[in-house]
Amino acid sequence: MSDVKEMKPRERVLAALNRQPVDRTPTCNPTSLATVELMDLVDAPFPQANRDPELMARLAATGHTELGFDTIMPVFSIIQESSAVGCKIQWEQKDNWPTVKMREPIWESLEDIRVPTDYLLHPDAQCVIEAIKILKRDYGDEVAIIGKTMGPWSLAYHCMGVEPFLLLSLDDPDQTKRILDKLKQITIEFGNAQIEAGADALTLPDHATGDLVSGEYYDRFLRDLHIEFVEKIPIPLILHICGRTVDRMEYIAQTGMSAFHYDSKNKPQESIDITGDRVSLVGNINNPETLFSKGPEAVRDEVINNLEAGIQLIGPECAIPLQTSIENLTVIPETVKEWHKN
Amino acid sequence: MAELSDIQNAFIRAEIEEYLERPEEIQRNIEVFAKARPILQDISAALIDGEHHEVDRLTRQCLDDGIEALEIMDDGLIAGMGIVGIKFRENIIFVPEVLACARAMKAGMAHIEPILSASGIDPIGIVVMGTVKGDLHDIGKNLCIMMLRGSGFVVHDMGVDTSEDQFIEAVEEYGAPLMGMSALLTTTMPNMGKIIEAFIDADLRDDVKIMVGGAPVTQTFADDMGADGYGGDALACVELAKRLLTETDEE
Repeated sequence: MSDVKEMKPRERVLAALNRQPVDRTPTCNPTSLATVELMDLVDAPFPQANRDPELMARLAATGHTELGFDTIMPVFSIIQESSAVGCKIQWEQKDNWPTVKMREPIWESLEDIRVPTDYLLHPDAQCVIEAIKILKRDYGDEVAIIGKTMGPWSLAYHCMGVEPFLLLSLDDPDQTKRILDKLKQITIEFGNAQIEAGADALTLPDHATGDLVSGEYYDRFLRDLHIEFVEKIPIPLILHICGRTVDRMEYIAQTGMSAFHYDSKNKPQESIDITGDRVSLVGNINNPETLFSKGPEAVRDEVINNLEAGIQLIGPECAIPLQTSIENLTVIPETVKEWHKN
Repeated sequence: MAELSDIQNAFIRAEIEEYLERPEEIQRNIEVFAKARPILQDISAALIDGEHHEVDRLTRQCLDDGIEALEIMDDGLIAGMGIVGIKFRENIIFVPEVLACARAMKAGMAHIEPILSASGIDPIGIVVMGTVKGDLHDIGKNLCIMMLRGSGFVVHDMGVDTSEDQFIEAVEEYGAPLMGMSALLTTTMPNMGKIIEAFIDADLRDDVKIMVGGAPVTQTFADDMGADGYGGDALACVELAKRLLTETDEE
């Protein structure tokens, strides 16, 4: 047991993000805890809960009130600011996430990029800002409110299409760097708008995953930009990259990010052996095979595996499948609490 | 049995020496390249290097010199793509490099395809591929298509957000004995099962072998859905397609 006095969830999360002592390991999902069951429970279904701040806040709050996590994350998808800058969105139905229509890119090259000056006033950006204000008002002293601002690599996928952008990165690395440099302003501005609204920390997804690009790519194109985000966004940042990332964790650990949200394709012990105490790790309960397909016992095993490795914040590896059972999710904080009693 | 030194192109020799580790793959590739004409080895080397302009130029030169289109495709383009697939599987290269190689393949095939079509040569197989309904992600599916085409398959790409009706219509229209479905989202994975059910309901399930893949998809999930096979990456997709085609021929 820890000799640190009992903390409130918010205090616990912020301490863990800063690698300071905690009373117990916090539970956190920096991407999304929304499920269809939770939507029904509070009458806040998709797609409306992605576009209406009241519904967004109500659904997000269930991550704490119903599931018992130490954080609340209102941004369930990765499309809000992309929609605000002009990407076409398929909003989908209750049982599916909205997605950017990446086969209909809005820009082809650096010269095409025209970020609307008023994109932060767009309803899909404002929805996030207003939802954070509501959550800050209702839970601000107790629970850590986490916002989300997309990194320039992910924004480039959305705005230029995945294949054209990846091919451009090979054909014209200099232009690629200049594109990222231009898009970074969206990351910083949307992040800072959420801080003004009351966010305690921000998830920064930037999908330079090992499933698509090499670790050397991360170093070449993104490491310095991520260092810059740490300098220009004055609250803890949680970098999120899906898939295999062990080969770039050393670079990630050099950025000064508070935490890295890591995928189950990376082993907890192997990962923390690389990152050490330079960046907190958040994760990495498997979504499709464990949370979606198995029962509480399998979830418990993965939570314990992470705790025993010393992972600083425990949670699912990514946005949880919308059909995940509440039972499989509540077992995460329950297991963490039990483990700390022993 | 051919030896590495029988391959004239130094770049190809270096690729095999440096990047291939499995003995059977090393020997198979040595055999393939050792028997290939030097200019076809050059096409392979340019393709592996992602040099589409060079592949375009060399392919035209080969045709001008009277080399058969089928030989250029098999011993130049497909042979080169074989090395690309292995390097991708082993994380030696990543998606940007594969995209460049596929672009080079396409540059060569632009000259080859019309000749093969006109001469009525059958492809090794016809495949219908698509990302399932509700899912707009296609990079994994596209990589599989590139590798399938790079191995001599004719692929009909249904794109993204493909409904069961669209899959059924395509399989019937193209007479495809193989179909591949992809999903990136855990929310859309179950649609694979619904599409397989639709083939059963349409009394077409025995007419087509169904492959599934995608980042969250596993062999267990594929089995539960009733798929005929699962591929973990683009090269595995090609091997699976070849195996399923052999099974179809034997049935």
